[in-house]
Order: sequence, then structure tokens, then C-alpha cells
Amino acid sequence: MKGIQKALSRTPHNITSRIGMSKKSTDPEYNDYERKFAAIEAASEKMLKDSVVFRDSVSSLLVSGSSFGGSLATLFSPLGAEYNLAAKFPQAEKTVQNITVYQTLMEEMRETLTPELELIDSRIVQPCKELNDICKKIRKSCTKRDHKLIDFDRHNNSLNKLREKKEKSLKDEKNLFTVEQDFELAAGEYEHHNNLLKTELPTFLQMATRFIDPLFHSFYYMQLNVYYIMLEKVQSFADGKYDLERKDIENIYLEQRGDAAEQLDELQITKRVVSTAKMLQTHRQSSGSSHSPSITSKTSGLGRAPSASYASKKETEAYGAAPPSRTLAAPPPYTSTASTDSIKKKAPPPPPPLKPKPSYGTPKVYCTAIFDFEAQAEGDLGFRAGDRIEIIERTENPDDWWTGKLNGVTGIFPGTYTQAD
Amino acid sequence: MSWGGFKKAASRAGTTLMQKTGQVERTIDREFAEEEGRYRTPDSESSHASFLVVTAGALGTDVVLMALRMEKESNNLQKDAKTYLDSMRAMASSQTRIAETIALFYTADRASDGAMAGHAYKAAVDELDAGVGRDLDAPFRATVLEPIGKLNSYFGQINSSIDKRNHKMIDYDAARAKVKKLVEKPSEDPTKLPRAQAEHDEARDIYNILNDQLISELPMLLDLRIPYLDPSFEAMIRCQLQFAQEGYEKLSGVQRYFADHIRDDYANGALDHQVEGVLEEMKELSIYGP
Repeated sequence: MKGIQKALSRTPHNITSRIGMSKKSTDPEYNDYERKFAAIEAASEKMLKDSVVFRDSVSSLLVSGSSFGGSLATLFSPLGAEYNLAAKFPQAEKTVQNITVYQTLMEEMRETLTPELELIDSRIVQPCKELNDICKKIRKSCTKRDHKLIDFDRHNNSLNKLREKKEKSLKDEKNLFTVEQDFELAAGEYEHHNNLLKTELPTFLQMATRFIDPLFHSFYYMQLNVYYIMLEKVQSFADGKYDLERKDIENIYLEQRGDAAEQLDELQITKRVVSTAKMLQTHRQSSGSSHSPSITSKTSGLGRAPSASYASKKETEAYGAAPPSRTLAAPPPYTSTASTDSIKKKAPPPPPPLKPKPSYGTPKVYCTAIFDFEAQAEGDLGFRAGDRIEIIERTENPDDWWTGKLNGVTGIFPGTYTQAD
Repeated sequence: MSWGGFKKAASRAGTTLMQKTGQVERTIDREFAEEEGRYRTPDSESSHASFLVVTAGALGTDVVLMALRMEKESNNLQKDAKTYLDSMRAMASSQTRIAETIALFYTADRASDGAMAGHAYKAAVDELDAGVGRDLDAPFRATVLEPIGKLNSYFGQINSSIDKRNHKMIDYDAARAKVKKLVEKPSEDPTKLPRAQAEHDEARDIYNILNDQLISELPMLLDLRIPYLDPSFEAMIRCQLQFAQEGYEKLSGVQRYFADHIRDDYANGALDHQVEGVLEEMKELSIYGP
């Protein structure tokens, strides 16, 4: 309540002094000390914050390190029914054999450094917190001094005003006495607080330097120790296992990286699920034509070994001059809606695996499309069921790719999708 | 969900219900019951538990469970690797800020021994921080974080492959039940049975394709984890080693600026007493208040 009263009585003065109507006194000596104190105040707050950040990041480094070791150890141990991974993956033998050692080591590192973290907490963070609290209390004294200064100015102003008044009324004469008394009181209080701060703030500033010296030295040794223990542990593990002369982490990684990434990429299950209708078509085609085992290996997802024979065989015996990209294109799909008839469904037209080189000069004949065919690659002729296609080149074998013309476009298409007129 | 997807889901829900009530026979692998008991440990991921139970049939339950385990561990690996990198960076950068703050305390007397040591400390940790940002961050990302992330990015697709196979299995079960019903109780419409038969065959083929694909590729995926992750392990150790080495080397040079007795003072707790002493003195000041 008293505080509110005081604040209220100071408000008019605050306003008038701000708009320059009344005088405001300053003490440059005090202001200088106050500024230095503010710097220490801010520094103590930062110190507290950053020492906490340091402590917490060391802690999370240790926790994540040991958890990383744990997960890796699980991954490098048999999951379920696997056995003897070291023999199965000779290139990773060293890792498989050492992974549990590593895991224990990371665990050990965490345990060894836990007391060190507690030390940081009790010897650095706590004192910083205390210094912070001390600063807050001193700041209170500063605020009090500022308030007293306002009172001083306020009373000083009213006194001066009253004194300068030419014609004083009786009431004014009476007031002059009380105002003088108020001024004396305010001046005394202000002097006291101001002088106290002026004598003690320099002492405090000097103490702050004496505070930071030992704190800094302790903190330094703690940090050094954290790095030292980490270094010692990791080195004890790495020594003799890895070539520690080399520092180019990325190059070493690249040298060791085999084709595992490519193999992963080759897997069918890592790819977006294609339409099952297409998949079914592909599958039936490949299992139906046993003379082209290369396709089977492709579609059944044995992506592990994209064998060289696959490519070469294809090129030489199947596609001739066709561009290599052709080998990857999915065979023609057929949409299930186009063939609700069960008989056709049971025996879908095996699309031809071969694309003969077009040779022109055959008589002009037509055929009618009985299924939809969507162009799969450049050079294919797409059509809807019922379209009449002019045959430019065809073979006796309907399993072959024929060349035809539709709506002015020439392209190849599977003969089985059509019926000759 | 698209209309088609909705229709499928609705018809499958009907089938699962009928399976539960015993009206539709279910594709069951006898192995499943045994494996399930063996693998369903308390820590097996509950989020996937629902599809685990459904995953029966010829697809080996153990393989699916192993893949799940791999996914879980590999996800943890990524999380921990990220935290590890962030922590290294946070350690180094908090040290540079601490060094700045210490310099603030010494503004009153920049020539003191403490200020000189503080200056050396600042230079050391600045170098360390820059070194971590320059020489450690990128290699760590390239050799540890990103490869693991890439591996994890596959699991979403693999899971939907497994889901798809499970859906198709329900379709297959439904189609088989339909054929069975028509055989036992022939319909008046003679085209119904052949059509149901055809649908059954198609459902069976699709199921088999998806199932075979998983049977052949899931073990490959599991095998690949070792050669794939192996180089990252060595890289991780090298990163850890480099970080500790840099930190230790940079920091240990600062000791030269300390007075000879400080090391002992630290060891015997004298420094701590000094700190406490100063704090007590501060509290005795009148400006500290009551």
C-alpha cells in the first residue's frame, strides 16, 4: 500500500521531468558505477545460462552416444534367427566383433563423466546462480536509490517554485515550512543511498573479478577433463583397430562403402507399390515365357544382382538396335476392366517379349484392337479397344511386336492385343 | 481415401469380420503361433502390433519381426546421431559464449593474469568451435547422419508393401470363400462359378506375387543392414575421436597462462573455497540489503 502511494506521488514528477518541465539531477560518478554493475549483472546471467547449456550438452552427448552404441550393437547382433554374422559379412567382421566393446565403452564414458557433470553443477552453476541472486538484490538497492532521487528532485522542485513565487499567500508561507522539511528529508535519504552505492559498488565490482578468477579456472579444468576422458576412452577403443594417421573421414567412408546402398535401392519393396494389375501382368508374362529367365529375375525382385548377362543377352538376342532403356520398361499392361470375361482373364494374351527390327514393304492390312494398349516408351503405338490399326509390318507370330499406323501416328504394338481383319 | 480405396476397405472389413465369426477360412501359417510367442516381448512396438497379428501366411513371421526391430533400432540410431552432432556443436558454441562472458568480467582490469588467461581461452574455444563447424559437421552428416537417414526412408515403403500384401491376403481369402460357397451350393446363373473362379485365381496370383517378393527381399534387406551401416560405424568413431582430440589439444594450451599453483588449487578444492568466500563477502555488503 505504501509502495502504491509512493508510486502515485512520484508519477506527476516523472511526467513533468520527462517533458522537460522540471529539473532532473544526475550523478555522473554513480552512473558510471551503475553502468559497470549492469555489465556484471548481464554477465552473471549469461554465465549461468551458458554453463547450464554446456553441462546439458555434455550430458546429452553422453546419453546419445551410449544410446547410439546400444542401437548399433543391436543392429550388429543377430536379430532373431540369424547366426554368426561375422562369418557372413567378412568385411564387417571387425565391427561385429567389437560392437559390444564399443557399447560398454560408451556406457563407461557416461558413468565416468557423471561425477564431472555434478561437479560442474555444484561448483559452477550453483555459484553463478548465487551471484545472480546477489546481483538482483543489489539491483533492488539501485532502484531504491533511483526512487529516492525522484523524491529529491520532486521536493526540490516544489521548494524552488514556492521560493520563487513573488506574492506568497498566507497558505504558501505555511506550506514553505513543510516543503522545506520534506526536501531536507528527501535529500538526506537520497544522499545516504547514493553514497552507499558509490562506496560499495566499486567494492562489489572488484569482488566480481575475484569471483570470476577461481570460477573460470575451475570451469576450465572441468572442461579439459571432459575432453580428456572422452579422448582417452575413444582412443583406447580405436587404437590398433583403425589407421589413426588418416584424418579424412569422408574419404575413408567412401572407400569402405561397398555397393550396399545400390543393392538397397534395387530392392522392389523399397519402391512405391505399383498397380497390382500391372504387377500381375508382368509376373504372368515372365513366368509364362520360360525362355527369357532374365525377366524373371527382374520381376521377382532379385535386385541384388543385376547380372551382366541380363543386359548383354537382352541386347544381343532380343532387342537388337532398340535403345537400352527399353529393357527397363514394364511390359504392356492390361486393365482388368477391359476383360471381365473369365476365359480371357484366365489366359491373358502373353505380350511378346521381342521387338523385331521394322522392315517395310508388306501389303497394307488392318487389324482391330481387342484390348486397350497404352504406349510404354517412345515409338509405341497406343490405342483403345475397337480401334482399327493399319498394319505396316507384321510377323506370323502374334506374340511379336508389330508396326502399325493409327490416326497418322506410326508405332509398334503387341500383336496379341489385336485381331487381324 | 479414394472411392475405390474405400470400397476395398469396406469389403475387407466384411471379410475380417466373417473370418472372426468363422464363416471365411483364413490363410494361416502354423509357424506363426510359435513365432509369435517367441517374439512378442514387452518392448515389441505396439504401433505395429496390429499388423503383426494379421501377418500370417507363408511370409515368415520372424523375418517381419526382425525387419520391424531393424526399423526401430535404425530410427533410434538416426535420432541419437542427430542429438550427438547437435550436442557437439552446442558444447563448442556454449564454450565460446562462456569465454565472451568471462571477458566481460575482466573489463575492469584487462591486464590482469586472469584476463590474459581468459583471452587465451577465448582464442582456443573460438578455434575449436570453428573447427567443429568446418571440419566435423559436414563429414559427420555425410558419413553417419545421412546414410542412416536414407536407410530409414525406405521403411515407410516397406511397411506399405507389407500392408498391401496383407490386404491382398484378405481379398484372396474372400475370393476363396466365394468359390467354395458356389461349389457347395451352385447358383442358378451358370456364369457365376467361372467368374468367381477367375477372381479367385487373380487374387491368389496377386497375393503370391506380393508375398513372394517380401519373402525373397526382406531377408536381403536384413542382410544389407550390416555392410550398409558398417562404414558409418568407423566414421562415427573417427568423428568422436576428432572432436575429443581437437577439444583437448586446443584447451590444454591455455594452461600455460595460469599461475603454477592453480592446478593444485583446483585439485585440492582451494578454488572452490575462494569462490564461496567471495560470495560470502558480497552478501555482507550493505547494498546487498537485509
